[in-house]
Amino acid sequence: MTSTLPTQLPGPTPEHFTSRLRSPAVAARVGLWLGLSFGVCFLTGLLSHYAQNTSQPIPFPTSPSWGYRVTQGLHVITGTAAVPLLLVKLWTVYPRLFERPPSLRVRQLLVTGLERVSILALVASSIFMLVSGLTNTASWYVWHFGFRAAHYGVAWVAIGSLLVHIAVKLPVIREALLGDVDDTHSHDRATAVDQGVMSRRALLRTTWLASGTAVVLTAGATVPWLRTVSVFGIRSGDGPQGIPVNRTARAAGLGDDELGDSWRLTVTNGDQSVSLSRADLAGMTQRTETLPIACVEGWSANGDWTGVRMSDVLALVGADPESDVTVSSIQQNGPYYTVNTLQKNFTGDDRTLLALRLNGKELDPDHGYPCRLIAPNRPGVLQTKWLGSIEVQA
Amino acid sequence: MSGTVLTRTALGAVGVALGLYGAWLTLSRQTTAQIVSTVQYLVGGVVLNDVLIAAAALVVGVLVTRGLPAVVRAPVVVGAVVLGSTTLLAVPVLLSYGRKPDNLTLLDRDFVGGWWVFAGVVVACVAVAVVVRVRRGAGGSEPA
Repeated sequence: MTSTLPTQLPGPTPEHFTSRLRSPAVAARVGLWLGLSFGVCFLTGLLSHYAQNTSQPIPFPTSPSWGYRVTQGLHVITGTAAVPLLLVKLWTVYPRLFERPPSLRVRQLLVTGLERVSILALVASSIFMLVSGLTNTASWYVWHFGFRAAHYGVAWVAIGSLLVHIAVKLPVIREALLGDVDDTHSHDRATAVDQGVMSRRALLRTTWLASGTAVVLTAGATVPWLRTVSVFGIRSGDGPQGIPVNRTARAAGLGDDELGDSWRLTVTNGDQSVSLSRADLAGMTQRTETLPIACVEGWSANGDWTGVRMSDVLALVGADPESDVTVSSIQQNGPYYTVNTLQKNFTGDDRTLLALRLNGKELDPDHGYPCRLIAPNRPGVLQTKWLGSIEVQA
Repeated sequence: MSGTVLTRTALGAVGVALGLYGAWLTLSRQTTAQIVSTVQYLVGGVVLNDVLIAAAALVVGVLVTRGLPAVVRAPVVVGAVVLGSTTLLAVPVLLSYGRKPDNLTLLDRDFVGGWWVFAGVVVACVAVAVVVRVRRGAGGSEPA
């Protein structure tokens, strides 16, 4: 009696879904690419998170200078590509949502329940990651969670529940991937016999097309030659001096009073300290480096930055070129990153500049006039604008 | 077979450990209000897909199979999947609530205009596919 009860519950059952497109043969193939996207997204995300950590037991490398530009661009691109993949994947397995436990025996209920919980965690965390990521790239801070903490924490839930899902489904995945995509005997529901409007191969091709289209329509924010066709790109690439801006001087509460002739950069090493005007900095040896601004939001652009080497400035206060320093912006009540640590491998890198000029002209106030930090392979959020002080850490 | 069991057990154990670590990170690094918001979005996402998007897909499926001639169905579904999924992921830029009056470099495109152009391209491609299929002699053995 108890073993037949579950099937008598009201509501739809998997048998009500009759399309042969909703099959493990399709789910496994879409899932493979979805899993790969999530893997790339997770690894590039870990890298980005680590790059923003103050304490780095293994120093984040300064080369290649375009490294972060590529990994963070890839992070947003693979996340975007995953949206159509996830939608189709969830569509193919939707009937399983209505599955009843095969029996009401405690052990069976426990096993089924645990698998259901892992699936719930996987679906919820996957959608959460894509929704939070996409809204964040568009600066639409509609949620009240801490983006960095939540996007990072839930990422581990997503990747963990994905591994559990693969562990549970491994035999089915293997048979589905090795078998013919049109095979209906091995794992399909008995009622999934409707031809549907297209073949399984056509549905797969449609999915790849949708995923590829999603990339082309958005990736122009970081891939310059895609700019004209990326109608959903968060940045066209235009901006003062040819570079987009994340936070303007006005948004930072900075005007002529703060950025005018009275501005000074204070450089401190223990009890040694100098105060430098913009003219002082302009009087020092000027270097020009081509370095990208690469934002965590996935947009990026290359610029020719001219200014003073960080190591030359540190020499003024008798500091080792390779010193961990605290870099502070003059903006008041700014976000957490307006005071951050520049690690010694960055201060010692010849390409790390206190930039005064961009693309041949004086820095625009929105790019950090009078003086900003620009270092190779560093997240844009830590390329501090409107520098106020540099302090060598004890 | 024992190798497979070992692989699955190891994968599952690592997965559970990583997932619990993620839950701990999410709970320990946020305030109560932030955790509540995180949970709201986790639950909201599942409802969004399992109720709204799934229902929309079912309705589109019924409309296509009951309301359209066979020769048109496959191209229309291809167009709907491409346009529907890309429109969904473009919602943040289409709404552009993140625009700031002082920053003209952010969300600096006419996204809605771009959507119409893109939708036009998709509709045109669907139309071409339908014409090609009709000329070939309707609903051949291997749909496009």
